[in-house]
Amino acid sequence: MFEAFSLPFFQRGLAEILLLAIPCGLIGSWVVLRGLAFHSHAVGTATFPGLVLADGLGFAAALGAFGAAALFTLLTVAIARSRRTGADSVTALALAACLAGGVILASDVFNSGANVDTLLFGSLLAIGSGDLWLAAVVAGLAVVASFFVGQHWLARGFDEGASRALRSDSALFDAALLTVVAATVVATLSAVGALLVSTLIVVPAATARLFTARLSTLLTAATLLVAAEGVFGLWLSVQTNAPPGATIAVTSGAAFALALGARTISRRGMWRAAAVAAALLALAGFGAGCGSQSSGGDGPKVVATTTQVGDFVAEIGGDQVDLSTILKPNTDPHEYEPRPSDVQAVADADIIFRSGGHLDDWTEDLIKDSGSDAEVVDLSTHLPVRLFGEEEHDHEGEAHEDEGHEAGGEEFDPHWWQDPVNVRFAAARIESTLSDANPAASAYYQGRLRRFDNQIRNLTRQTKSCVRRVPAGDRKIVTDHDAFAYFTNRFGIETVGTVIPALTTEAQPSAGDLADLEATIRRENVKAIFPEESVSPALSEALAKDTGATTEYSLYGDTLGPAGSDGETWLGSMKSNVNAVVAGMSGGKVTCFGGQDG
Amino acid sequence: MIDWLVDPLTHGFTVRALIEIALLGVTSGAIGCWVVLYRISYSAESLAHGMFPGLVGAALLGLPLMLGGATGIIIAGLLIAVVGRLSADAADTAIAVVVTSLFGLGVLLALSPDSPPGIQALLFGDPLGITEGQLLVTALLGATVLAALWFGHDRLLAVGFDGDAGRAGGPSPGLIQGLLLILVAVTVLVGVQGLGNLLVAAILVGPAAAARLLTDRMKPMILLSAGIAVLSGVAGLYLSFHGRVAAGAAIVACILLAYLSAAFLAAAKTRLVRPTRKETPDEPVTQLV
Repeated sequence: MFEAFSLPFFQRGLAEILLLAIPCGLIGSWVVLRGLAFHSHAVGTATFPGLVLADGLGFAAALGAFGAAALFTLLTVAIARSRRTGADSVTALALAACLAGGVILASDVFNSGANVDTLLFGSLLAIGSGDLWLAAVVAGLAVVASFFVGQHWLARGFDEGASRALRSDSALFDAALLTVVAATVVATLSAVGALLVSTLIVVPAATARLFTARLSTLLTAATLLVAAEGVFGLWLSVQTNAPPGATIAVTSGAAFALALGARTISRRGMWRAAAVAAALLALAGFGAGCGSQSSGGDGPKVVATTTQVGDFVAEIGGDQVDLSTILKPNTDPHEYEPRPSDVQAVADADIIFRSGGHLDDWTEDLIKDSGSDAEVVDLSTHLPVRLFGEEEHDHEGEAHEDEGHEAGGEEFDPHWWQDPVNVRFAAARIESTLSDANPAASAYYQGRLRRFDNQIRNLTRQTKSCVRRVPAGDRKIVTDHDAFAYFTNRFGIETVGTVIPALTTEAQPSAGDLADLEATIRRENVKAIFPEESVSPALSEALAKDTGATTEYSLYGDTLGPAGSDGETWLGSMKSNVNAVVAGMSGGKVTCFGGQDG
Repeated sequence: MIDWLVDPLTHGFTVRALIEIALLGVTSGAIGCWVVLYRISYSAESLAHGMFPGLVGAALLGLPLMLGGATGIIIAGLLIAVVGRLSADAADTAIAVVVTSLFGLGVLLALSPDSPPGIQALLFGDPLGITEGQLLVTALLGATVLAALWFGHDRLLAVGFDGDAGRAGGPSPGLIQGLLLILVAVTVLVGVQGLGNLLVAAILVGPAAAARLLTDRMKPMILLSAGIAVLSGVAGLYLSFHGRVAAGAAIVACILLAYLSAAFLAAAKTRLVRPTRKETPDEPVTQLV
């Protein structure tokens, strides 16, 4: 039951949560006493523009986050100079300003990649030594500040918002409080992510506050409670294979509910009912877990990062590999949050196959933090076709179309598997890696490679002849985001535009760009806009409605589909995409892979 | 100049966005005054995350997402009201506890393989992706909320300014606060589908905070706030069209600009008026309608 404690990634998560318990408990108590809960939540969310800047200009994310948090605090103070605006309104306004700034930076300045999103989600399972250092420094800061400045914070009275803070005579002390709050929030980000910062800072302190009005008791109890809830939540997450942040959120929410219920009931002398309710809730707290996704085959232990790579390894390895695929079908790789079984699989792996590029950037940290000594094979290197400049596309789609492909300085487009020729190379590389690791099964792997290779060649031939049946002038498409450059490049199709300007899900298009795209669709007589299976189709549908194009055909982009769908395997997803694209371009007249010849 | 004004109107999506922002602007501008008065901006900003478990639950049971979202967000609003009253701590502590716990629960529920991907994103819209169906829902919602605010005006006012005075006769202050939270919750639900999460918080709080700087009386404040919201929305869309700025962010920028202008005006007015009047700036609205 406690073997989890021997895992290195678990120990690092444990160290992080115990370190964080100090600032979260101490500063959290002040947050609750001074009514700064909204402020602390907003500081965490307002770090977004800092993360975008850090990513765009290439400096440390924590630095960007802290800079944005400081900017947010200053904005709060500036807006609060107008005394008639309530503290909560001030916070909301400053937060809106920061987020809007972040969206503009991500959409219109940097065309940010998806890694910006992953920075907003932290995880106790992916704690590096930098995170531990940050937590330790902030813990020291919190102790020193509480010890030396705490009495001044107390003197200022309770339940005043951040905005009121800097108006007092003790402005300096309050500035110190807001600074320490910002530092605590930034340190907490990497553990639980922006949306769950309050789980560690506010909820435990609020729970402790229910039972005590004494400051020293509150500070101690809140710190112990963060530690207890954090450790229990982390342990529970390993037992149930759930993400630790959400598990801790539910654990500490349940603890608060219990405490509140107990207090309310005890004041009415209903202790027995309280005890029964507590027991029931504690039982309910142990939710159902999910099993490991390992295929359980013989042979080397292999981890594949993305669904496509997992499919390639399964095609070659068959039952002679023990395969775990980290990303689950139909999930957006941009929203990935590691689960305990993923970290365990990486730690135990002999070979890790990566898709490469920004789609699985996070694996680098995961591999490093899990203590794995597996052989890591990045399939995106050594490919015959490598395209660049995905981040540089523009909606007119004419000027940069070809020159971007050679410019080596631009970012590598990681969707290489959309070109079957690349997949043949990747499959051969997987075969040779597996054969080296497990020579006994080499003939088996080679046989499966030959079969897979033939299937890919057939697919390519059929697709080419099929696309040729669409009139040359009609071979144009508009997609949701630019994940199909390899596909269109291989089969002579032109992407005249994309709807979403950047790869982060936080990005939004401008009305002007959308209007241009609409004009292009009309001018080029584009017949279909292709939403992706895992992206909200609202914008594509709005465009389609106005231009008369169809959004009937959706594509498999970053991820394969769930079991039982057309896109369950890579071959199936390609056939489905080819059918969709050809049908969309020809107005439904041409189809490629029917039930009989598929 | 004429082209500059008319060009955006030749595109269906901008016309729909303009109508949506006008409808939601009036509704949010009006209810926003109560959000500002009752100091529940945090709810307005965070409730959308509290509906997560309801949303996933609906997806797992095969019910319409909208129904799950509505149930989830109303439960979140009620929980906030209950926890706030029971714990008697700062109201925003209750919001933090309820919203993060619910959000965590939603994340855990969404781990189920039957849950569709990016389920929350499915409900967060973009002003440029509005459908006619959404316009209809927004109009219906707006009418309902405005009617509720109209009939509840006196009670809201009494409870908002003096919770104890509000105790004398009529529904209890707790009930009034709970009902207001539900109205806010429903506005947020429809708002996030039309405009996205970022914009909803800004349009609920910004115009009302600006209007509050310019007038002390509630009814003019509501009218002014609605006007500012609609105007900022339209200006933001034109900025997005001609200046090529992300639409939601452009509207937020215009709302903030409106607030700053109001703050500037209010400061100028205070300076002019000060010699003749005793200034009590921390006092909330003193003259009631």
